[in-house]
Amino acid sequence: MTAATVTRANPVARKRRRSRAGDSRAYTIFRVVALVVVVVGLAFPIVWMILASLKSNIDIYNAAKTFSFVPTFDNYVTVFGEQSFLPFFWNSFVVGAGSTGLALALGLPAAYAMSRFTMRRSASTVLLARIIPAISLIVPWYFIFANLGLVGGYGAMILAHMFTSVPLIVWILISFFDGLPVDLEEAAQVDGLTPIGAFFRISLPLSAPGIATAAILAFIFSWNNFLFSLILSGSQTKTLPVAIMNFIGYASIDWGGLMAASTAITVPIIVMAVFFQKYVVSGLTAGATKG
Amino acid sequence: MKKSTILRATSLAVAASAVVALAGCAGGADAGTGSSGTLNVTLANHPWSDAVKKALPDFEKETGIKVDLNIYDDEQLAQLYNVKLNAASDELDVMMFKPLQDTLQMSTNKWLVDLSDDVTKDAGWDWQDFQESARSSVTVGDEVVGVPIATETAVLYYRKDLLAAAGLDVPKTMDELTAAVKKIHELNPDIYAFGARGEKSAAVTQFSSFLYSFGGDWVDKNGKAAVDSPEAIKAYEYLGGLIKDYGPPGSVDMNWPQVMGLMQQGLVAFYPEGSSQYNNAVDPSKSNIADQIGVAPIPSGSDGSRPYNITNFAIGINSGSKNQDNAWKFIQWATSKDNVLKFQQADVPGPRTSVWADPAGTSALPADLLKVIQTNGDIGVGYDRPVLIAVAAAREAVGTPLVTAIQGGDVADAAKTANAAFQDLLDKEK
Repeated sequence: MTAATVTRANPVARKRRRSRAGDSRAYTIFRVVALVVVVVGLAFPIVWMILASLKSNIDIYNAAKTFSFVPTFDNYVTVFGEQSFLPFFWNSFVVGAGSTGLALALGLPAAYAMSRFTMRRSASTVLLARIIPAISLIVPWYFIFANLGLVGGYGAMILAHMFTSVPLIVWILISFFDGLPVDLEEAAQVDGLTPIGAFFRISLPLSAPGIATAAILAFIFSWNNFLFSLILSGSQTKTLPVAIMNFIGYASIDWGGLMAASTAITVPIIVMAVFFQKYVVSGLTAGATKG
Repeated sequence: MKKSTILRATSLAVAASAVVALAGCAGGADAGTGSSGTLNVTLANHPWSDAVKKALPDFEKETGIKVDLNIYDDEQLAQLYNVKLNAASDELDVMMFKPLQDTLQMSTNKWLVDLSDDVTKDAGWDWQDFQESARSSVTVGDEVVGVPIATETAVLYYRKDLLAAAGLDVPKTMDELTAAVKKIHELNPDIYAFGARGEKSAAVTQFSSFLYSFGGDWVDKNGKAAVDSPEAIKAYEYLGGLIKDYGPPGSVDMNWPQVMGLMQQGLVAFYPEGSSQYNNAVDPSKSNIADQIGVAPIPSGSDGSRPYNITNFAIGINSGSKNQDNAWKFIQWATSKDNVLKFQQADVPGPRTSVWADPAGTSALPADLLKVIQTNGDIGVGYDRPVLIAVAAAREAVGTPLVTAIQGGDVADAAKTANAAFQDLLDKEK
């Protein structure tokens, strides 16, 4: 818990502190200024992106029209009309959901086992997958997938994305399961559940926040992954990060279209993040403090 | 013990079902790979590719060959080729590439099919009709490894209105250019009288015209690195000096999107750049000063005006392709006289001499641009960067002295260091 949430949760304490000393006012001012600086700093690129997506290409470069301009939806018409981006959304969704779902199916029991049976060496091995730079993997993978006839389909991309999402899920969930008292499962077993039953009925529901965190992070990684999708996708299965490059040409860049596409790509992720936010926060704290 | 057995069994079952599910997935979505008989054509995001895309139904109808067209931005394309061709892929059939950047590397690695026999077989298609510099850019030894599709040359973009207001003529020599830039700077202190690429590697191509015009070259007659010659140093100092004194701040990080962006806003008076940027400069939907853009030849230096005049893209066939006959049919169709003419009318300067002699091929071009392109065809140099396999590394090296010049450092010293680094790269390829 941060100081900010403590004060917000306890108005009486805040009141008392403010009336007690002058430096608390200084603290409040500092806090507001700091918050504004951080929020403006972090939000500015996103705001700029959204504003640019509503401008004509001629206005984007014009500093005088940064905030005041005549908005246009032409760029979005380009993205969804001329460039027909909807199938790319579907492709990204299939690959993201597929890789995250399968990675959870593998990673969840793996993390549970590694947590309960102290298989630290296995855990380190799994982490290795994230340490190796992706670029060094892609040539052999391409070779294997090409020989299996998987290149151009969803399968190869799902498998490739799983390679990065499984370690992520395993490591977040290991620390999460570590934090769950074994007593709960033992109590359940005393009451007649099998170990598997205890896992499904007790540990799994309790670890929902951790699972949500791991899943959303894995999904975002997949959603934004560029390299694997570039090499392994086909013309019908291109994902969004690859498709967005359509706006960058040899001798011309359609900044408006690029920004509109970026905005359109970011929106689903932001909506998802807001929706799952409370899980993500508690999940991350759980992982960070107990791992 | 029992617990772990059950867990192991469960995870095995999950893994097995995952693999089955994925195999099913792949079967359904697998589209357009080499095995299916469709022709896989991989192109860079370039106006030529858009023109081909539009005309493609004609080809499919004529030949009955189904084409799977994939278009990528050129950096992506380079990455894609590196991975797929290193893995000896048969997935790519027709490939678009940049002759000056890629030909040597791709042919050294034997990634491209030798087309020497194909290009001479059909007299009607007429290989000799391609400009000589274009043909030489895709010829390695006695092997022809690609067919040129688009050309580009160096021009000087300028602001007609600012020049007229200053009472100046279009500068014909480097000295006149300096004087004009200076005068426009004095009359319009709010804008940048001169702008050019300053980002080390990107700047090399535009710098080349200045290097040649001052009498320099990347290598001397004996093939030794020569970017520390007095001529080269003069060229570095000249272009770098103009950027330093009159260019926008932060020039050393600028490539064409940044400089062209400033020009479109009316903030740059003179800008040496490739002719492929013409549409950006004069498109009223992108440019505030679209009707005020003029195009002039690169001014004469001590060695006259020697702009680059290059083939910027070519297409070839992947040596691993199992579809080589159809791939050649596609190339022949896409580079036929009719289509080169048609594509030129859609703003893609073609590599065939016949389309430049044909009024139908040139009437769409504005007079000033056409004149520069035609002159450069006669006087131009056929390469705009050092010619070797390690082009990217060489560009980093030979671009450094320009950055030094822009920053006001010791150019002679930087040129010496750059020359040594460039010579090392040349030595490695012997």
